[in-house]
Amino acid sequence: MSRQHMDADTAETLAGVVRLLRRAAELVWAAVDADGAGSPRQVLGWGIDLAADLARNLLPDAILVDGPMPVGNEPAGLLRSAEQLLRRVTTPGAGTRLHALQAQVADLVKDANTGVGG
Amino acid sequence: MPCRRRWPTWLRMRTPVSAADHRTVGELLADSDALARETLLDATPDHAPAMVRSWNQLVGSAAELWAVLPSAPDSPSGLDPMERLRAVGEAIGRSVTAGHWPGQGPTDEHLTQIADNLTRARHLVEPHGRHSQQAAPETQRDSHDLHGQLMHTLYVAAHGTAVALGARVTDLQHRLVTGERRRQPLAERPTALEITAAQDMIARFDGFERLAGAYLFGLPSTSANPDQVRQAAPATRLETALAAWEVQAHRTLANYPDPADLVRVARVQALITSTTSILTEAAARRGHIDLEVIQRLAPALEASQTAWSRTAKRWGELTSPASRTDPALVGAASEVRAAIAAAATNQTGWATVKELATRLHLPDAVKTLHLSVVASIDIAYVVRDTAADHSGLTAPARIIGMRAQGEAEIAIEQGETRYEGVTWTTRGQIAANQLIPLPEPARRGLINLADDVITTTNQAVAAAAQLHPSHVKAANRSAPEAHRGRSVEGLQIGRPHDPRLGGPRR
Repeated sequence: MSRQHMDADTAETLAGVVRLLRRAAELVWAAVDADGAGSPRQVLGWGIDLAADLARNLLPDAILVDGPMPVGNEPAGLLRSAEQLLRRVTTPGAGTRLHALQAQVADLVKDANTGVGG
Repeated sequence: MPCRRRWPTWLRMRTPVSAADHRTVGELLADSDALARETLLDATPDHAPAMVRSWNQLVGSAAELWAVLPSAPDSPSGLDPMERLRAVGEAIGRSVTAGHWPGQGPTDEHLTQIADNLTRARHLVEPHGRHSQQAAPETQRDSHDLHGQLMHTLYVAAHGTAVALGARVTDLQHRLVTGERRRQPLAERPTALEITAAQDMIARFDGFERLAGAYLFGLPSTSANPDQVRQAAPATRLETALAAWEVQAHRTLANYPDPADLVRVARVQALITSTTSILTEAAARRGHIDLEVIQRLAPALEASQTAWSRTAKRWGELTSPASRTDPALVGAASEVRAAIAAAATNQTGWATVKELATRLHLPDAVKTLHLSVVASIDIAYVVRDTAADHSGLTAPARIIGMRAQGEAEIAIEQGETRYEGVTWTTRGQIAANQLIPLPEPARRGLINLADDVITTTNQAVAAAAQLHPSHVKAANRSAPEAHRGRSVEGLQIGRPHDPRLGGPRR
């Protein structure tokens, strides 16, 4: 799946994923700040940032990522929503980058449910 | 125009050069090493700016020769160690070109001559190619020797430049005090800013020297240095990831980075610093590190981590929904994260001391991470240069208007009058939350944060000096007070006793 050949639905879904991931990252980084130096949650926050970057880089420049802030204050819940949205993207021949993103977000959901992210 | 007298002959140890240069690769390398050593004896205040200006050219020539030498040795990290150094050399070069101290001016004859020698050596080696079965006779020597000799030249030249810079700082401080006492016109006195800039440059050359030294100390033993070096550590994912990260961070920051890139760089550095702290503490608990050292080091690392986190947060204010991160940076950062997660975490957080000791050879892992902290100082300087010079920086009006006002008020309290009565955003910009060019006080805030990172990281590096006895002198020089009174007398870089170089001789 290239940026040029993305249909509108897929683009909107991915934009939603970017917003969910960015919001989840924001919440985790706020928790990292509250923890103080050396918080192990940095690893999760970082992982979410990277997943958001991957998702953002899948989108063409013309697609606006702006939109309503996702509802929810639990990183794990936001990540689950992102995972579910990503499952909807079933474009035939979807690129390896999309598959990598799906796997990464699935891993992050697991991490967020453990002590590291929870 | 090169600055320095031509061909000093006090040692008479270089091969005489006739009109037609017939020196062999070995002679060119030996002459370069001798020239590098001469920089130490000629390390006067006046030479320092020219040496800094010549640095990128020297490192570039060395990297090009390194690339064509037969079968470059695999570093423990599996990444070409010269790439790391080249990235730092280029960053220093860009900073000078952008007009930062010492700015444009004459170059240094010694360093230029070394660069020319290395280029000449490359021309001699190149026809045979690094993968050629029939290497040039001169390059049939143990490739470790050739690479070691080349690296040693950079190592000594970096040290010589840092010494000249130290002398420069001492001279400037003396002239400043004298100028104040004699009430000389301000224009005739050096500025405090110039002194700080020269001190900053010392820290960058110290970092370079330590990176080159790490390669030399990591070389496998040769007949020439049986006792000087440890066996190369087995390749580790963490080491590879960190080395690749440093190079990529420099590349991304050199190429009109998006604020999102800066956020990622700062976050990764914070994570690396945290990991360094965790592993160092584990190594101390296992008896690999003195408890006294860890007592000094732990708070210093914590301060550095906090400074990087603050930097990330502030750069985050400049991002917009449309921000994009450099995919290559994302790739390198992902590998760092994965390597750290695999080495240092478990299901519930940081791995226990027992788990860490099982997974890693703690002394080697700690050394790898501390080297990365050393390298991060130069990244912090590039972050500062980006904050100062990046003309395309914009930010959403609401947050940056408040930030600019806050920074302006702090500056006004400190005596800055230019910001009094200035408004940084218009009502229209605020209403639409428009992206606006970064106001100067907001830029100044970013520079101050980078300065905090530099200061705290330098303190951490100085506190970690005793982790590796070979680095004690270099790290001690990074302490601000050590920038004063730096002199040639304190140096212990000796003459090579054997052209088959391998380890450092200092």
